[in-house]
Amino acid sequence: MKTRDLVLTALFAAIIVVLGVIPPVQLGFIPVPIHAQSLGVMLAGVILGAKRGALAVLLFLLLAAIGLPVLSGGRGGLGVFVAPPAGYLVGFVPAAYVAGLVSERLVRAGQSGGRQIAGFFVAAALGGIVIDHLLGIVWLAQSTGMGFSKAFLGDLAFVPGDVLKAAIAALAARAVMVGYPLLPQRV
Amino acid sequence: MKALYVDRQTWQHRLPPRLKLIVLVTVSVAVFLLDRPLPLAIAALAGAACYFSAGMGLREALRRLIPALVTIVAVALFTLLFQSAAEAVTALLRLTALMLFAGAVTATVSITQFMDEITLAATPLEKAGLARAADIGLASALVVRFVPEILGRYEAISQAQAARGVRPRALATLMPLIILTLRDADSIAAAIDARGFRQP
Amino acid sequence: MDIRFNGAGARFAGRQVLEPLSLTLGERRIGIIGLNGSGKTTFARMINGQVPPTPGSVSVGGLDTVKDGRQVLGRVGFIFQNPQNQIILPIVKDDIAFGLKHRGLSKAETAAATEAVLARLGIAHLAERRAHELSGGELQLAALAAVLVTGPDWLILDEPTNQLDLKNRKRVAETIAALDQRLIVISHDLALVEDFERVLLFHEGRLAADDTPGKAIAHYREIAGA
Repeated sequence: MKTRDLVLTALFAAIIVVLGVIPPVQLGFIPVPIHAQSLGVMLAGVILGAKRGALAVLLFLLLAAIGLPVLSGGRGGLGVFVAPPAGYLVGFVPAAYVAGLVSERLVRAGQSGGRQIAGFFVAAALGGIVIDHLLGIVWLAQSTGMGFSKAFLGDLAFVPGDVLKAAIAALAARAVMVGYPLLPQRV
Repeated sequence: MKALYVDRQTWQHRLPPRLKLIVLVTVSVAVFLLDRPLPLAIAALAGAACYFSAGMGLREALRRLIPALVTIVAVALFTLLFQSAAEAVTALLRLTALMLFAGAVTATVSITQFMDEITLAATPLEKAGLARAADIGLASALVVRFVPEILGRYEAISQAQAARGVRPRALATLMPLIILTLRDADSIAAAIDARGFRQP
Repeated sequence: MDIRFNGAGARFAGRQVLEPLSLTLGERRIGIIGLNGSGKTTFARMINGQVPPTPGSVSVGGLDTVKDGRQVLGRVGFIFQNPQNQIILPIVKDDIAFGLKHRGLSKAETAAATEAVLARLGIAHLAERRAHELSGGELQLAALAAVLVTGPDWLILDEPTNQLDLKNRKRVAETIAALDQRLIVISHDLALVEDFERVLLFHEGRLAADDTPGKAIAHYREIAGA
């Protein structure tokens, strides 16, 4: 890994930490908070690409695990990895990877702005919603014994918020691509 | 960033960090294999004994538990509502036991000890040529170093927008924040390479 | 210990940003001046091998900057324009000690060397401070300490007083003047280089003057129309 890639990965992990400073919104009926940190995860994938994006998220989770209060609301420690919403947290890594992989395939430099934004949106939604929520639901159902169908129903409450985040991620990714392109190009 | 490690010397601090991590993994597996309330209650009590003797003081200990307890109680209520009381109690005890053990390990293993364990765990990866253990430490230090800088930049961008009469909005703040931060990567990388921090 | 440019130029994305030049640098105090984008930073970065020469070659004390890149890095310390991006560990003394990591020193030796360099620059009180809490002048001195601790023969400083107020400018200038190392200072602050032994002026990717400070600065004023 080149030093620049190492630094980009670390800086993005730091951006994800900073996004967590915005206080999370608690919805009463399901034990998962809504926070801008998952927006940071989508951004890591779509801006840095699959490998560096997933590594940035992994680094962020590593710092949380060793007891630094980097998660939204100043949380951290090993407890968050066994709590009911832990699947969403661990799912961040494959989420960023998939978002990056899809962006690398769908988005190219010569395309129109609209197509690039659409590509980034699909990528962010596939990674940040489909993959992350899938892992979230599996762990929620398993750890609490509430069963898949109820976990799925509860999860639906977070889909609209995350669709909004995927849209923000897509617009931001396109702007960053214009200002400072980093995404590895694949043909 | 202030770590959640508690700098004291309790009996738990003196245990080898690796042992504590192994115990935590074992407990995590065990509580999911147990599904009767009595053994789970014993596990939760043992967890509480560890957690509250980890040296952080009652007030801090309770403060740290609140976010976790909120989710656990919510899950228990959810289970009570849709399933049975017995299942609600099982879920409550199981998750509480886990949170307490994990909280105790977090409070008694220092960042340095964790980094040593991670470096050790990364050795097979390093031998396989997949990652460099020293890079993990360097990357972690970079995050801790640059979080306050990025926060400062976030505040500066919000203020600049407010000064121009623009109400700070998520996207308008986020884009310059990301671009300016990532642009620093080149000069930071140049400084790291110029000082010979990384072995070729 | 001399730095030699043998027909060395620099190319970025197919464009020659620095025309090939040949010279030997052996003085103790050398200044580099020129407008923004004139090629002066590129020239400086070629000395420690950050920018490989195309065409030609650059050597420091007989070591080639491309082939012996690692040894050259040990001989040439580089202080970049943004001091905040050079302190890369959270605590000042850890950052300075980190530069000694691959030297095979004991913990006590590392701590002693760190303390010594901080004391020498008069910033012993910054040892335990967090990098993000430092002022511009403090950051510049801490970055200087982090490079000095590795004991380079040459020190290249890119705009060391650029972001500083008058008081800190004076402090940094005095600190730099007292160093034993051979210095190459890139600066828009002409007062900083006016008593140096030699000043190089770059203009539009070419070496436009290589002279005494008085003559080079006069030429620079003509070019800038000021």
